[in-house]
Order: sequence, then C-alpha cells, then structure tokens
Amino acid sequence: MPDKALALSRLLQLASPMLPVGAYSYSQGLEWAIECGDVTDKASAEAWIGAVLTMYQGQFELPLLHRLMRAWAARDQSAVSEWDAFYQAGRDTAEAHAESRQMGYSLVRLLSEFDSLPADWLTQLQAMPHPAFITVYAGIAEQWQISPEQALHAYAWSWLENQASAAMKTVPLGQVAGQKIMLELGGRLPALVTSAMALADDDISNFCPGLSIAGCRHETQYTRLFRS
Amino acid sequence: MNQISHEALTALSGAYAAGWQARLELEFAVSHQRSTLVRRAHQGPLVIQKSLHPEGPDLCHGIIVHPPGGVAGGDQLTLQATLGSQSQALLTTPGAGKWYRSGGRRASQALQFHLADQAQLEWLPQENILFDGADVHFEADIHLTGQAVFAGWDIQCFGRQARGEQWQHGGVRQRFTIRRDGRSIWQERGHWHPESLVMRSPVGLHQALVHGSFVVAAGSLPKDILADCQALTVTSAARVGVTALPEIVVARYLGNSAPEARHYFETLWQCLRPWYGAREAVRPRIWNT
Repeated sequence: MPDKALALSRLLQLASPMLPVGAYSYSQGLEWAIECGDVTDKASAEAWIGAVLTMYQGQFELPLLHRLMRAWAARDQSAVSEWDAFYQAGRDTAEAHAESRQMGYSLVRLLSEFDSLPADWLTQLQAMPHPAFITVYAGIAEQWQISPEQALHAYAWSWLENQASAAMKTVPLGQVAGQKIMLELGGRLPALVTSAMALADDDISNFCPGLSIAGCRHETQYTRLFRS
Repeated sequence: MNQISHEALTALSGAYAAGWQARLELEFAVSHQRSTLVRRAHQGPLVIQKSLHPEGPDLCHGIIVHPPGGVAGGDQLTLQATLGSQSQALLTTPGAGKWYRSGGRRASQALQFHLADQAQLEWLPQENILFDGADVHFEADIHLTGQAVFAGWDIQCFGRQARGEQWQHGGVRQRFTIRRDGRSIWQERGHWHPESLVMRSPVGLHQALVHGSFVVAAGSLPKDILADCQALTVTSAARVGVTALPEIVVARYLGNSAPEARHYFETLWQCLRPWYGAREAVRPRIWNT
C-alpha cells in the first residue's frame, strides 16, 4: 500500500519552486507576449496564461505526463522512450526544446544524488540520452507513489506559478494581482486534470501557432530576463 | 453535444453518400543520373499532370492536379510519394486547393511520403482555401531514412476573403508527423472549429484569416543562415517567426494575406534551399500562371 502522507510530502517537494531545475529562468514566450503588447496588465496576463493552460498544458503536456507515468509504472522502457520522443517532437521552438532537455538533465542530476532511489531504476533513467523534464518528472512521481491525478495537478500548478511569477516580474504586476491569477486559474485545474486524463490519443494537440511564434521571436528579443 | 451530433450525422450521411475517393501513387528513382518518375498509379480524380526537369536532370518537378477543382464533403484525397535513394523531386499544384462546404461529411487529404537515404522531396503546394462550412481532415506522414531531406509548406485560408466570406461553420483536424529512421522528430496536431479558443486567442490563430507553416527536415541549420532567415520580415501587421531545432527548421506566418504568406515562404526558401538542396531557389513557372 502506498503511504499517502509520505506521497504528499514528496509531491510538495516536487512541486516546490525550490526544486533546482531552473524553471524560474523560463517564460515560455510570455516575455515576448509582453514585449509585443499582447499582455499589458492583469487581465491580459490571465487570458494569455489561461489560454496556454487550456490549449497546451491541458491537451499536450498533461495527457503526456499521464501516459509517461503509465509507461514507467509498467516498467516499459520502450514506451517511456516513445512517449518522450513524441513529446519532444511536439516542442516546436528551439528554446522550448532546449528548456525541456535542460530541466530534464538537471532533474536527473538531482535524483542521482538521492540514495533512497532504486539503483536499477536510476541506471535506466541515466541511460536515456536527452530525456525531457516531463519524462523524468513522470518517473520520479511514479517512484514516489504519487497518484497520476495528483502528479498532473502539481505539474500544472508549478507551471502556473512560474508563469504568474514571470508576469509579475515583467509586466510588471503586484503581489495581489499575481495571487488573483493563481486563484482564478488554479480553480480550473481540477477540471483540466480530469479532462486531460480522459483525452484520447487522437485528441492530443500541440497546435498553438501564436505561442510558437512568440517562442520564435523571443530568440531575437533585444532585452531578455528569461531563457525562453 | 455538438461533437456527438456531428459524428452521428457524419456516420449517417456517409452510409448513403460516400464522396470521391482519389488516390495518386508516385515513385521516383535515379536512373542514368536522372531523377525520374518511374511509376504512377491513380484511382479517381487526382493526377500528376507533368513531370519536368527545368532545373537539370537530377531534380524532377511534378504538378499535382485535382481536376474537379475543389473538394466536397466526403471526398478523400490521398497522395503517396516514394523516393528511391538519391532521387529528388519537387511537387507543387497549379492553383489554390478549394475545400467546399462539407454538408456534414468531412473531407480529407492524406499525404504519405517515404524517402530513402539521401533522397530529397520538396512539397510546395499553393494555399488551401476553406470555404464556409468546410470540415476537413489534413494528415501528413513523412518517413525519412538516413540522410533524406524534406522541405514542405502548408498555407490555410479560413473563408474566401475575395467574397468577404468568413469561415463560420465546419472544423479542422490535422496531424502532421515527420519521422526519421522510425523516430518521431516533428509533429503538429490540432483540432478546432470556428468558435474554438484556438481561433481567437493570441496563443492560437489570433483571429488571423491565414496561417502557414514551412518545415525543413535536413539536420542542424548553420547559425548565419538562421540569422538571415530571422532578419526577414513582412510589411503588414502579420506575425512571422522562424526557429531552428536540432533536426528541424520551422517558420510560421499568421496574418490575413495568402500572397504575403507565399512571398514570405518563398523568400525563406531562397535562404534555405542552397543549404539543404545545394541549389538556388527558382520559382516553378506554374506559379506565374
């Protein structure tokens, strides 16, 4: 039986902004959306982040996190590699692609320092050439016996917190505005996680051309705080 | 609810009124230092009009024609191209693809390209225009082997602008995948209808009437060429962007003019073709007619 209280503690550790994977250094195109005037205040920041949450997190990242957790749970290394390739093939700008690999690398390095993880599992993880962050996250969440529902929820929460924080630094927005964005969009997470877990393979979607162009244009943005 | 009734309707109408099934299979191979169309087979109204060598013997141009002129609900077009080792082909179309009101039956286009080692395929069709009511499924499966090279673009127009028509009914479902030696290296998948968040959000199509993407799978792009591509702009308020992933170069256009999208992609093609194809970009003459 999984120890639920312990799993919660592990979940909070994984979801914490203190997790040393460098998430805070990425805005995922939001910095360019601010630069070009699509995002100028609390309302437009919430609309942008909310749209990415619905269209990209809900229909691409979360359904893949779920599939990756199932593949890890089944000890099916080829399925893990396949879904990892599927995910990376859908990361459609240089910065987005590099981000997932850098954060994946940092998380593998951190986990390699934890003595409590099974050696054969770590060896398997370390054998993957460039795992995406989401692939490693799925693996450790499964190792720590976190339920898929909670792992998806925490993953989306961390992403949301990071986006709100990027908006606060760059728009800029105050603490209260940031908290209101978290309150509003955080309230959508339960339904988002439920629909992501029910999504059929055919309905997985990464089509967000405006977000992709924001990512492209960020590469040559003159003044940048963020790496994406 | 809409989804369910639509699916039911599609199934019902499909039962008594199937659309046109059109299928064209092409095979290119090198023989006597010449890239040649060595096999063609077609069923229904989809044909290759000509195969030409305007740029010399090692590259075969082909013009793909759909004689009915437009695609109606229930029609299914399949284009399959197989390129033998070291063969090179450029495929284009003589005019815009017209996708009519579907009347409850989804129309589809499937592209299936298989490239052997060191083959090169350029798929440079004219734009697809979705009439109001068009419900379309676009699918492209591109299989590359070894050092094969693929370059292709796709321009979609939502509604017939010349008539002031908006795309207010219908849907798009698309899936575009590139694999190299069996491994997925690029994919874009989406499904939306005129009322979707994707259509209006700046994260999605941002209410643009025209969306285009240009993808080149030829390995890693040198930084100086990327910089040349990034320096290309458009004069309108359209948004464009280009990025170089480890194995793929992608450019996008989001705006309101198909000719502008075409011009942007052709200019990029001039930058990129000497790199991936070792030859200058020369406009096929069919584009001028």
